[in-house]
Amino acid sequence: MIQLAYLIPLFPLIGFLINGLGWKSMPKQAAGFLASLMMLVSFGLSLAIFFEVKAGAADTIIPLFDFIHSGKLLIPFAFKIDALSSLFLLIITGVGFLIHVYSTSYMHEDEGVVKYFAYLNLFVFSMLLLVMGSNYLIMFIGWEGVGLCSYLLIGFWFKNRDYTNAAKKAFVMNRIGDLGFLVGMMLVLYNFSTLNYNELFAQINTNQTVLSGSTYTWVAICFFIGAMGKSAQLPLYTWLPDAMAGPTPVSALIHAATMVTAGIYMIARSSVIYNQSEFALHFIAIVGLLTAILAATIAIKQYDIKKVLAYSTVSQLGFMFLAIGCGAYTTAVFHVMTHAFFKALLFLGSGSVIHAMGGEQDIRSMGGLGKKMRITQITFLIGCVAIAGIPPFAGFFSKDEILASAFAHSPILYVAALGAALMTAFYMFRLYFLTFSGKFRGTHEQEHHLHESPAAMTFPLIVLAILATVSGFVGLPEVFSEHHSLNEFLHTAVTNFGAHHMEHNTELMLMGLSVGLVSVMIGLAYARTKSPNFVANTGLAKVLENKWYVDEFYDAVVVNPLVQFSGFLDRIIERKGIDGGVNGVGKMVRWAADRMRLLQNGQVGAYLFTMVIGIVLIFVLGLFFVNF
Amino acid sequence: MKAIIAATILGIIMMYAGFVVKEKKSVLSIATLLFVLLLGVNVWELLTAKPGETQMFFNFQLTVTPFSLWFNTLMTAATLLYVLLMGNDIIKVGKHVGEYFALFFFILVGTYMLSSFNNMLIMFLGIEIISIPQYILAGSDKRNLKSSEASLKYFLMGAFSTGILLMGITLIYGATGEFNISKFSFLQLEQVNPMVLTGVLFLIISFAFKVSAAPMHFWTPDVYDGSPTPFTAFMATIGKAAAFIGFIRLFHTSFATISDSWTMVLAIITAATLFVGNITAVFQQSVKRMLAYSSIAQAGFMLFSVVSVSALAWQGLVIYTVAYTMATLGMFAVLLKLKDYTFDGFNGLAKKNPLLAAVATVFIFSLAGIPLTAGFIAKFYMLQTAVAQGNLMWLVIFALIMAAVSAYYYFRVIIAMYFKTGDPEMASELSGIDKFLLVLTAMLVLLVGVAPQILLPNGI
Amino acid sequence: MNLFLLNAATNSLSDYLPILMQIFMAIGIVAIMMGGSHLLGPKRKTKDKLANFESGIKAIGNARQPMAIKYFLIAILFVLFDVEVIFFYPYAVNFKELGAEGFLAVVMFVSFFLIGFTYIIKKGALKWED
Repeated sequence: MIQLAYLIPLFPLIGFLINGLGWKSMPKQAAGFLASLMMLVSFGLSLAIFFEVKAGAADTIIPLFDFIHSGKLLIPFAFKIDALSSLFLLIITGVGFLIHVYSTSYMHEDEGVVKYFAYLNLFVFSMLLLVMGSNYLIMFIGWEGVGLCSYLLIGFWFKNRDYTNAAKKAFVMNRIGDLGFLVGMMLVLYNFSTLNYNELFAQINTNQTVLSGSTYTWVAICFFIGAMGKSAQLPLYTWLPDAMAGPTPVSALIHAATMVTAGIYMIARSSVIYNQSEFALHFIAIVGLLTAILAATIAIKQYDIKKVLAYSTVSQLGFMFLAIGCGAYTTAVFHVMTHAFFKALLFLGSGSVIHAMGGEQDIRSMGGLGKKMRITQITFLIGCVAIAGIPPFAGFFSKDEILASAFAHSPILYVAALGAALMTAFYMFRLYFLTFSGKFRGTHEQEHHLHESPAAMTFPLIVLAILATVSGFVGLPEVFSEHHSLNEFLHTAVTNFGAHHMEHNTELMLMGLSVGLVSVMIGLAYARTKSPNFVANTGLAKVLENKWYVDEFYDAVVVNPLVQFSGFLDRIIERKGIDGGVNGVGKMVRWAADRMRLLQNGQVGAYLFTMVIGIVLIFVLGLFFVNF
Repeated sequence: MKAIIAATILGIIMMYAGFVVKEKKSVLSIATLLFVLLLGVNVWELLTAKPGETQMFFNFQLTVTPFSLWFNTLMTAATLLYVLLMGNDIIKVGKHVGEYFALFFFILVGTYMLSSFNNMLIMFLGIEIISIPQYILAGSDKRNLKSSEASLKYFLMGAFSTGILLMGITLIYGATGEFNISKFSFLQLEQVNPMVLTGVLFLIISFAFKVSAAPMHFWTPDVYDGSPTPFTAFMATIGKAAAFIGFIRLFHTSFATISDSWTMVLAIITAATLFVGNITAVFQQSVKRMLAYSSIAQAGFMLFSVVSVSALAWQGLVIYTVAYTMATLGMFAVLLKLKDYTFDGFNGLAKKNPLLAAVATVFIFSLAGIPLTAGFIAKFYMLQTAVAQGNLMWLVIFALIMAAVSAYYYFRVIIAMYFKTGDPEMASELSGIDKFLLVLTAMLVLLVGVAPQILLPNGI
Repeated sequence: MNLFLLNAATNSLSDYLPILMQIFMAIGIVAIMMGGSHLLGPKRKTKDKLANFESGIKAIGNARQPMAIKYFLIAILFVLFDVEVIFFYPYAVNFKELGAEGFLAVVMFVSFFLIGFTYIIKKGALKWED
């Protein structure tokens, strides 16, 4: 059975090819049906493979063909099936299938629906490549593929200029991260002359190649920079909230459940490398924690239903990186899984709300929706409870495990992380109360239009709600059960760093503390939203509403100087100068550029003169580097 | 050797075919036929050569290895693809259709010589044989002032670089008394003579001109922009590949033993080329001019193969030239179908002609180096050779940053095609054959991206 | 290689001092003589004296008149074929030694030559009238 794993990415690829090539002639219903069917088949296969791995099947490499073969270097195009990848397969195809089903209803009016499903299938295909590849190069191919699909889907409604800009931003931010990944790959290739996981990790584990700790740190940091881009960590997180421009199911699938967790997957996969560098782990923990806190503070003051969820995603990703930084990779993977369920649920629920409101996303004009859409309300509530961390819902167990590992590391980390977790509870319930309870604050027309969504949309909600309720039990902490079944399942693939054991009393006390405080926060959220009046924010609240002005800061510190620098080069190097594109270049630069432009007037003489200067420079360089 | 003779004779036949056949379309058919014939000769020579054997001609002035035969075959195939893709546009440039094709044959003669020379004089001949036809091609649209200007500029600056090339050859001859690049006295100088090192620097400079590397790149944008578009496509691809094979052949066979003295200078030239090409391309408004700057940038990547002295570099160069040639030819073929060469001219192409937009996307992806296209594999090979070299990590990182920059201007085309609305004017409608060839080229780009090994058969 | 003066380890700068001295002397003497005659010599500039000398004929119009491209074409073709004829001299000297193989090579050379020649005639490059 495992040998058939290559079929899993094949089906979405077929779906993509059929929908992608026939997007003109394909009937709309057929496209959605086909795409969902392909996902269902993949999901069935993933399920079969998962149980086989669970039953104890050994790690398997499925070679397809030699991808690159030059000299000693051999990079095969092969898949690796082990505990880690089989778990991710399950999440991707499972959640992916539900979201495909949801989309058939959500997108049925859109004219580009065939193209939409083609992109969605392509995304799943790339994501599967990412997690199934048996070496970093295949992972990188998937990595770029999901970035591309995310770009295409964020800009899916490309007639809106802001949306295309959001797509571009996402792409550029991701490319910055990719750079780190590529450099990391080159470093690995240089030091170990292989990119295959098995050989690489064997070399490190058996000390075949002895390297200084700093090399490992460099590799680890480079990979982490890649993860920062893809998983939206400080300072590269700003693209994710903007990415909400895409259709809501896309936000659920790509920007909450799967793609953004690619960074976690990569680091969990590379745990052998990260275990060699404590510095890198500390760095990750701090970045993750800061991201979690910063995003949570921003989410408190947002009014766009999807923006709140987006910042909560950034914050939860921060939690996962915090877990990784504490060496608890399996905990991070656990949270990836539970988060995939409840965050997909929340996003799809918000999609249902937006659908009912006729495209309105501002929670200030919602309220009292619960009466009209009972299923959405209940499932959304389950999602909120799960993310807030109330037992026995899924989020409680995974988040508690993260908090516990943070506590074992240092109480300061614990307190900060707990603060972020409490903010999560507050803003999620603020969102819930503002949306579903109280009185309706929109127009009469909207009120008249309110309705529960069709079955194709509520069905995924119900399934995800059930998963969000029960999935936490796969990782019951030691206090409650003999075995931590998820950790046992994963231990063949991932090695945690510095395992720690806690007194049961301490652990119970921490749990009690967090549950108690979360309940207080929910009460607070209820009190604050009971009679909402939306006055203009001032002081800190205004800063939060404006997302700490990070976007403005980036514009001022990175984007504008870059634009100006390029403009400066443009005038110097390009003879005609370009009319547009260059704004706010100082007067001095203009003056200098004008002088320089006289030199660059397209005359051969001037060119030759410059070349001669170049030649002289080369000879001067020669004096330095050549041993005459 | 057979290929050199065949290409010369076929070129002469082509020259005269223009007198006999007046109909332009027929000249094109004859040319296509002759190129197929030439490809046949190449394949025949390749198949009859014994693996691993080196054939010598003319008192060791030419050494034909299986590698050079393979490279020749690839370049001939690329020329054939080029003629098939753009034949109809070539015959529209001017009156002397037969001569244009004859010049392609002569350029191929030069290419064959550069892939197998063993003597610096043959190298000089080869370089001149590829250069002079290119000067003529640049100015072939005689009524167009820009074309004549391009030709004259190219010629003047080309003559300048030829002078430098001769100076370099002279200095090296003066120090070693030898033109044969594989002679012992030439390779292993116990005490490196300053004259040799000066000569090497001169050779670097003149080759940098031929491959349009900074700071010798000034001619490129003007010439590529001014020349008739089909000929720009040829000069930017096969013309450049020919210069590169000469470059790597001379520097890796002769100067490998003294590589310490020149790699750093060349690495700095590489970095400068990447910088100038990519940064300036960002601000172009015309896709044609953008491709000119991008060809400078891509030359920067190809220079990696010369900088890092190893057997891998040769393989990398083959893959890079083929990947770059296919994608650029394809992109120019798309460009020729449009009236407006600016970025705005691409607006809304995906709506109007989805097929053209789709193949253009593949070519752009390949040029930008997105995985699963040939361009990615090519860049990967190049960076890998540099990484294997060891002391060039800074250059690798710099190249990666520049590759990220390049995504910006390449993706502008995609944004224009897919995300903007407009009604692009077509210069000509796509015929069935055009569609087939474009899709074929795109498929080849993807095929090389998935299975690059097909470009490196055993024994090469 | 004066360029590498700075780095020459074996021969120090002082070894080149005589050469430098000579260069300075050569330039200096020329400069002094030219400057001296320029300063000391009597100068009476009149319009006639400053006019371009054209064999006693009065200069009329701009010298940079466009000329028919034919002049250049013929001139270039002349140079091309004229230079190639030079190759025959060494062949004539070595005629006996080179034997049959050499003869064939020269025949090939000449035939290429003739092909080119026919080509330019057929192309009409030597036709004076349009």
